[in-house]
Amino acid sequence: MLRKLLKYELKATGRIFLPLYAILISLAAVNKLISTLLPIEVQAPKIIAMVIYITIMVGMFVVTFIMMLQRFYKNLLSEEGYLMFTLPTQPWKLIVSKLLVAILWTILSSLAAYISIFIIIFERGNFRAFTIAFREAVTGLYTFLGPSIFLFSGEILLGATLSLAAGILLVYASMALGHLCNRQRILASVGAFIALNALTQLLFFQLVRLIASPLSQRMQRLFSEAGGHLHMLSRAQIFHAVMWFGIAATFILAAGYFAITNYVLSKHLNLE
Amino acid sequence: MKAVLTAKGLGKDFGRKRVLKNIDLELEKGKIIGLLGPNASGKTTFLKLANGLLTPTAGEIRIAGFAPGPESKKMVSYLPEKTYLNEWMRTEQLVEFFADFYEDFNVDRAHDMLKRLQVDPRDKLKTLSKGTKEKVQLCLVMAREAELYLLDEPIGGVDPAARDFILETIISNYREDSTIVISTHLIADIEKVLDYVIFLKEGEIVLASPVDEIREKEGKSVDTLFREVFKC
Repeated sequence: MLRKLLKYELKATGRIFLPLYAILISLAAVNKLISTLLPIEVQAPKIIAMVIYITIMVGMFVVTFIMMLQRFYKNLLSEEGYLMFTLPTQPWKLIVSKLLVAILWTILSSLAAYISIFIIIFERGNFRAFTIAFREAVTGLYTFLGPSIFLFSGEILLGATLSLAAGILLVYASMALGHLCNRQRILASVGAFIALNALTQLLFFQLVRLIASPLSQRMQRLFSEAGGHLHMLSRAQIFHAVMWFGIAATFILAAGYFAITNYVLSKHLNLE
Repeated sequence: MKAVLTAKGLGKDFGRKRVLKNIDLELEKGKIIGLLGPNASGKTTFLKLANGLLTPTAGEIRIAGFAPGPESKKMVSYLPEKTYLNEWMRTEQLVEFFADFYEDFNVDRAHDMLKRLQVDPRDKLKTLSKGTKEKVQLCLVMAREAELYLLDEPIGGVDPAARDFILETIISNYREDSTIVISTHLIADIEKVLDYVIFLKEGEIVLASPVDEIREKEGKSVDTLFREVFKC
């Protein structure tokens, strides 16, 4: 059932995003073409093309955000909810299908933006410069942290995806809490968002305080053992500890928001 | 006969407003049941509760023993009073959607009904009139071979010719073991197909009786009785 829900969610959103990406990338190509073909003195067409490109780029991110809101609000909590909530499936599958697809489009929108920028700045010379700079950055990190930089990149990717999921679920949970009100549900959702956000900050701060002192003790111990100079491996250890703490904390938050959303949609659904 | 739908002490409030009060009901299998009442008598609320789109404030509702959930939704084919379909889809895509999610969906029957109601399956929902959208919804809902059909105002928004077709579809669809609940205030049109009626007034059941009994005991049609009970 989840597979089918994902399929329809992708269909419903892909018809907006795919043409948008195609437009963005074609506009980047047009910009590139104009700037290569036109003589340097002719500025107006270049500026116009660039303004259009930037507008579309900004628009793409705005659409990505709005789609995330709208697919949840319109498809689940408005009239279309009559269809979605009478399907023989559990509410958590509806939430997961929306979440996964929203994550996917956020990542793809960022990728489309990078690709389009790359098209515009691409020149043979600076492409080489780019690869050299990238290699240098990797080597630099390697000497600083050692072989664990690969694990480290994995941690960053996992952490980033989880933070994205937590952000989206925070919005879902706010809309779900707003749904508990009998009227002014949108206003209530905004209120719920502010309250949940504040609560999260507070909780996160407490968690950091909890973990900060054992971590700094450990760091001090490592420092004194190493005689004031940290070895590459110890540095890596600390980095990993911080990353995993962040990942665990984000996971807990995301799970909390998910639980709130699922609770409201399965136990307190009241479609208008 | 086993009950297909039971309600015990079922109540629903919206804020301070009480929309349904203490409903006790047991609906038998294999009947066509009219859920009758004026506007705002709680008909829609009752059907939404049966579909899990609303959460009861008091009591409980069960479909063949199940609380509203995946099990009950497999058995129930529901026609809401709203147009609830994705506007961007074509009618044929909606048929696919229903076929994908409901095991009991009969694709041929859906296309056949659409054809008879002169709906082009390639039309996007966005381009259809409100009445045509309602016809599409009805075709999708009636093309399921469900155990329980819950139809909220199925004939309210369509022309009289389509109305006849819809009633005919409902009757021809009728199988020994399936049950149909039709909510409406257009009683005269529907009276001839009903086996059983429930009168709802201000959120309470004022009458629940087989249609034959009403005709025998009261010597009146359901329509006449309705006009008497709900006289303004």
